[in-house]
Amino acid sequence: MRRRDFLVAAGAAAALPGAESGLTPVDEAGYRRLLEAGRGKVLLVDFWATWCAPCRVDLPLLVKLEAKYQARGLKLITVSCDEPEQEADASRFLRQLRVSGPAYIKRSADDDRFITSVDARWSGALPALFIYDRQGRRAGSYVGESDKAAVEAALVKLL
Amino acid sequence: MGRAISLWAATLLAAGAFGQEFKLGSKVSDFGLRDVSGAPVAFGKLKGQVTVIGFIATQCPISNDYNGRMKALYTDYHPKGVHFVFINPNNTEPAGDVAQHTKQNGFPFAVYKDERNVVADRFGAEFTPEVFVVDSEGVIRYHGAIDDSRVEARVKAQSLRKALDAMLAGQSVEPARTRAFGCTIKRVKKTS
Repeated sequence: MRRRDFLVAAGAAAALPGAESGLTPVDEAGYRRLLEAGRGKVLLVDFWATWCAPCRVDLPLLVKLEAKYQARGLKLITVSCDEPEQEADASRFLRQLRVSGPAYIKRSADDDRFITSVDARWSGALPALFIYDRQGRRAGSYVGESDKAAVEAALVKLL
Repeated sequence: MGRAISLWAATLLAAGAFGQEFKLGSKVSDFGLRDVSGAPVAFGKLKGQVTVIGFIATQCPISNDYNGRMKALYTDYHPKGVHFVFINPNNTEPAGDVAQHTKQNGFPFAVYKDERNVVADRFGAEFTPEVFVVDSEGVIRYHGAIDDSRVEARVKAQSLRKALDAMLAGQSVEPARTRAFGCTIKRVKKTS
């Protein structure tokens, strides 16, 4: 399959269950849909990658945060920014951490467009955390190694 | 997309937050680097008619995926008069590591150390790899990625090569700006 065909197919598959890895491909439209589907919950969306060391440090902390506040309406959503070659590794890492929430993998035909659609001010740097309130409005953005106490405080305000 | 970013950067979303001084279209004033022995080196002594300034890392997997491509760029363009100034800005990668990495990878070019990421801050560089190309007047004519894919087999846009070709031909660079991607630069903690 040519790259463009693959990307188009992945885009069409956005928000559908993923293939063998268990990760769901997501593009711009799929991202909008997942936010809409999460209305009523406070969403903590984590963009990460297997090659990103601080992302791997962050994820277990985020899993703990979700466990702590799940009953109050917090939902953790992970979006891997790995290449197809690393998809199996990404899936394995999430399984090891017992990430229970929806797990996506970025598959957009245009990375620039995807990144801008998430947040026009985001450069694409990882890790990147975005918090959405129960109405689906973005309520917080944390890029790079963030202060998890600040993230938790921001979440608690919304829960 | 290196990452010792502290609290001050927790909500960082744009390169401008680093106090970016040199921007696309602006003129780069001289700045200081250190070679791997620790000796000071002025950019003014390294630049040429066309100069590629590349921020790279020793440990970033994405930057390392470009090692071969950086060597090929040097091999192809240095004979045409293009100068290359590769810079390691990561606080977590000391000069000794940079020297070893340069040797292990057989780089035909030197890699300089940007202590306390002062130069990366002035350029507003956020990633390794991330490149800037300056002309003979020191004006930044291109800023962004080397190309558009970490996986060489999937590269569709050779943006840096295209920029160099245009500059060597005396033409305008298009696109002059692309989105760099890779590991974030591991910056020192700044408390002020």
